[in-house]
Amino acid sequence: MEGILSNLAVGFVHVFQPVNFLVLAIGIILGLLVAVLPGLTLVMGVVLALPFTYSMEVIPAIILLTAMYISGTYAGAWTSILFHVPGEPIDVPLLWDGYQMARKGRAAQALGWTLLSAFAGGMVAAVVMVLLAQPVARIALTFSTPEYFAILFFGLSSVVSLGGSSLTNALISLFAGLLIATVGVDDTYGTHRFTFNVPILSDGIDYLVVMVGAYGLGEVFLRLEQGFKSVPLDAVGKIRTRLPRLREVLATKMTFLRGSATGIIVGLVPGAGATVSSFLSYGIEGQYGRRRQKLGTGIPEGIIAPQTAATASVGGAIIPLVTMGIPGSGATAIILGAFLLHGLQPGPQVFQTSSHIIYAMFASVFVGIVVMCAIGYFATKYMVKVLAFPEVIVSAYVVMMCILGAFAARNNITDVWLVAIFGVLGYLFERFKFPITPLVLGVILGPLAESSFMTSMISYSNDWTVFFTRPISGPIMLIAILTLLYPVFRRMRQRMKQRIASQ
Amino acid sequence: MSRDARFTRALPYAIVGAAAGYLYFVASNFQFHARAGTLGPDFWPEAILTLTIAACGYEVVKIAAFGARAGEVGGVLEEIVEESAGKHADTRPISAPVESHPWLLLVGMGATILYVLAVPRLGFFLATTTYLAAFMVIGGYRRWGVIAAVSLIGTLLLLFIFMKLVYVSLPIGQEPFLQVTLFLMQVMGIR
Repeated sequence: MEGILSNLAVGFVHVFQPVNFLVLAIGIILGLLVAVLPGLTLVMGVVLALPFTYSMEVIPAIILLTAMYISGTYAGAWTSILFHVPGEPIDVPLLWDGYQMARKGRAAQALGWTLLSAFAGGMVAAVVMVLLAQPVARIALTFSTPEYFAILFFGLSSVVSLGGSSLTNALISLFAGLLIATVGVDDTYGTHRFTFNVPILSDGIDYLVVMVGAYGLGEVFLRLEQGFKSVPLDAVGKIRTRLPRLREVLATKMTFLRGSATGIIVGLVPGAGATVSSFLSYGIEGQYGRRRQKLGTGIPEGIIAPQTAATASVGGAIIPLVTMGIPGSGATAIILGAFLLHGLQPGPQVFQTSSHIIYAMFASVFVGIVVMCAIGYFATKYMVKVLAFPEVIVSAYVVMMCILGAFAARNNITDVWLVAIFGVLGYLFERFKFPITPLVLGVILGPLAESSFMTSMISYSNDWTVFFTRPISGPIMLIAILTLLYPVFRRMRQRMKQRIASQ
Repeated sequence: MSRDARFTRALPYAIVGAAAGYLYFVASNFQFHARAGTLGPDFWPEAILTLTIAACGYEVVKIAAFGARAGEVGGVLEEIVEESAGKHADTRPISAPVESHPWLLLVGMGATILYVLAVPRLGFFLATTTYLAAFMVIGGYRRWGVIAAVSLIGTLLLLFIFMKLVYVSLPIGQEPFLQVTLFLMQVMGIR
């Protein structure tokens, strides 16, 4: 414990260095703007910031992206509450009570509850993140390749099980991602796989190119097809934030705890980020909340539950990233990319080799939440004005940043072509309702999954039962299979209920 | 569900399945020296492609056999969202009915491809200024002064940030356009 605290103190020293603190403040402001701006999502924002980190030192680069990730889970709530326009899917549950509260003339209180929820959820998750990271890394050090494969299999199963309107589409999307990850020269045999005599494909397809294309360019193409819009803003001048009284906060302490716990747990699961946390937490409040009957009428619990969970999911998602090198969400995948670009592979060893970087990242979460809340308290009125900014201008620059981001990574125009191709693919995926997250996580986790599978096969003489018979990998594989089958069981149960009801 | 509707719904899966079949053929012809008792580099992609073909085949057969009655097993998130949103139907986000402008999309995609083709010849500054302005016009924006200012100033800013601060060597173009980039680089103190 003492070691953790002293490492964290060193982390704070790094964060409070003037340059790093400035980068953190810029990251927080950019994250807030991204969450408010039309046509930009949290993941897109973090993707677009990545090229600016190429020439930075590793610590400010990680601080910038982490700060954007944190604040991106918060500011969309403002537009949900004030204008009935959710900045992100995360913020949809805030329409139900946040906007209702604002309609009753209590917008300042609604913004106050949002701010406090983001603060509490973020801080609780940050503490849990710091306490859990080192023990989890210690356990991860004992893992062998079958355990790693089982964890990756669980991650990929949960992405499929969670996403999209069709399980088959999610599976196809995942397989496409896993296949893209095989392009290039095979590590073991040196075989060219799906390179089609294109020299740059021998180096493989960088997952950042896939992310930038599918998330960034694909989304812009979709919005272009639907026509760009701007939101008229009314009554911006009257906006202010009023924090709740201590008595009111104490009366809702269980909602804060439930929301934080939900956010942390969901954040730990690969593929399930802030959006799932937010909806799930609202659902749990509807099941177990003391005032569940009044949910949806504009009560604080309807704001606390989704907002605490959304911000708490950041701390949860960072744990698998730093302890096992497995990104749980789009944003953490980009942060992983920033680590790799700076020659650092997150995983259990990183706590021994580069703990100062990890703890600087942890410290930036704490400081970032405080800075985010301070800006949120004083500057909401000014920041929501960017909502009126023409979406078409934002989108034009999103395209430009996508292209620059791809080009800057290897200074090669072929990467720009790849981004354009994945942009069209991302658009087609959206158009035909194939979820993009499984594709992206397939590309990211594919090489890890393949290498751990193949190494296990070599080590255990091609005995595939090893994944099911080892004490740690066995239960994880079982949970993964159940996770994959859960939507099918759920559907069957619903059908049976409908049949019984119709009889 | 009419025959045409079934065909339209099954078509994407048939295309993906056929593409997976072709890639399986490619994977089965990978050149490598097999080692006894060890899986080859073709095993992993072949396994993925087999699963892809199976998933596509399942969807095609399901649509062909059941048509509109073919239900979907949705992801858990979708159900959570639908359940929650269903309870709050009166407070859904403000949104106009979704419009569709396929021509805008095609022109936008075409402009992006043209940009990628043109940037090595025209250089970053000329190609980007033109592209940004064109994209805003395609997107329906008609405030010409803003378009000119935003595309010009934005491109200069990007040029400065990436070439001077982030040290990315952006395309400078070919003669005679090269001279424009070199002039700007000189003005900005970029070497």
